[in-house]
Amino acid sequence: MSDNTEQGRTIDPTLSTAALAGLEATINKALQYDPGTRAALKKLQGQVLAVQSTAPAFTFYLQTCDDDLEVLRLFSDHGQQCSPSTHLRGPLTAIATLAVTDNTTLANSGVEVMGSTALLSDLQKALGQVDIDWEDALNQLLGELPGHQTAEHIRKVARWTQQRASSGQRLLSEFLTEELKSLPSKPELKRFYNAVDDARMQLDRLEQKLEKAIKKIQPGNLNSD
Amino acid sequence: MTDKKTTHFGYEQVAVEEKAGRVADVFHSVAAKYDVMNDLMSAGVHRLWKRFTIELSGVRPGNKVLDIAGGTGDLSYKFSKLVGADGLVVLADINDSMLKVGRDRLLDRGVAGNLVVSQADAQYLPYEDNTFDCITIAFGLRNVTDKDLALRSMLRVLKPGGRLLVLEFSKPQSSVLEKVYDAYSFKVLPLIGKAITQDADSYRYLAESIRMHPDQQTLKDMMTDAGFAETKFYNMTGGIVALHKGVKP
Repeated sequence: MSDNTEQGRTIDPTLSTAALAGLEATINKALQYDPGTRAALKKLQGQVLAVQSTAPAFTFYLQTCDDDLEVLRLFSDHGQQCSPSTHLRGPLTAIATLAVTDNTTLANSGVEVMGSTALLSDLQKALGQVDIDWEDALNQLLGELPGHQTAEHIRKVARWTQQRASSGQRLLSEFLTEELKSLPSKPELKRFYNAVDDARMQLDRLEQKLEKAIKKIQPGNLNSD
Repeated sequence: MTDKKTTHFGYEQVAVEEKAGRVADVFHSVAAKYDVMNDLMSAGVHRLWKRFTIELSGVRPGNKVLDIAGGTGDLSYKFSKLVGADGLVVLADINDSMLKVGRDRLLDRGVAGNLVVSQADAQYLPYEDNTFDCITIAFGLRNVTDKDLALRSMLRVLKPGGRLLVLEFSKPQSSVLEKVYDAYSFKVLPLIGKAITQDADSYRYLAESIRMHPDQQTLKDMMTDAGFAETKFYNMTGGIVALHKGVKP
């Protein structure tokens, strides 16, 4: 448990409590529109994940309460009736990267894990599959009909933007490779990479043959053949 | 000439037996709008102070918790969720107006089964020895006439290893903050009180009672003298509020 007595750190508990309360409220607001993830989190009730950031240095705890996620600044284990199931330790950037990617291994991530990795995997799976029903959120805010119309409009705009972005990328690529000839095309690149691979393999074979030949002509090996 | 014992009621000296009645009048007057006023006066920060108290309490399923001066039941609501069906929360307050508001509010929020409402004086707690795993008193101790007596009473009803958490206004740690805080407490606060509850005097008492309350170190020493071990305090919002913790040995 972190200690913040009169002799302790200088961070005011009001600030850290506010930051974590804000984070908790944001997560739970988003989860409000994702019943699937809420149900998955409910199964993790009673388990606590301790997250210890080494840079900047602070610790917080994640636990589920009903189908909400709680972000706590302190976790007291009076009487040692319970303690965090899993302890995650590393720089905040590495922990955040782990949270937003679907890496299944911690190797080279800069993050250490102690205790049960099952909770970590379950949490990552649950939060990685967050699928927020934005239309439901809009319905609650605007009413069903305007909410649906607004959601339809947003979907249309998103589809149009996605299509324009994708065709824009294709047109730019064609202009640079075909018109300006300033960049090689994909097939040319592929041929070049294949040629490099072939050359590397031939070089490897040649190296092996040379090594074998050198071994043969070494004085100690001349009589053995 | 009479040789009556006196105590402070804000900046005023009153007879010891008179203080509880005067404090009761203040809270009868503000009970209905207590929560609105708390939000307005602290800009909602009182929720963070209480959240920190709950986190530090370490209350677990099955625990028995006593929430003294629980008023409108902010802490009791959260504790009732934490202790679960096997635990018990006692919402205690000396003031029946505050208790009624708290009881109704908790019932409206669906809290039942593991919560008991009890009108009790913190100086003479009507519970058996070694009953509770945790006791909290949030913004209540400064209104108690004999604080030492109250602390000893709390120690008695705590189980060995049980925790007492005292959340109370305290002394700001910076002189600049203290000046700003003084101006706010004595000039702005009574005006807000007058506008919302039509009662500026009660909020003037609030400001005065905070100044008369022991500072961080003095309260810590009082807890140690009462018999608590591992006493410590946590300054919050620059020391405007402090959370004291002690454990029954």
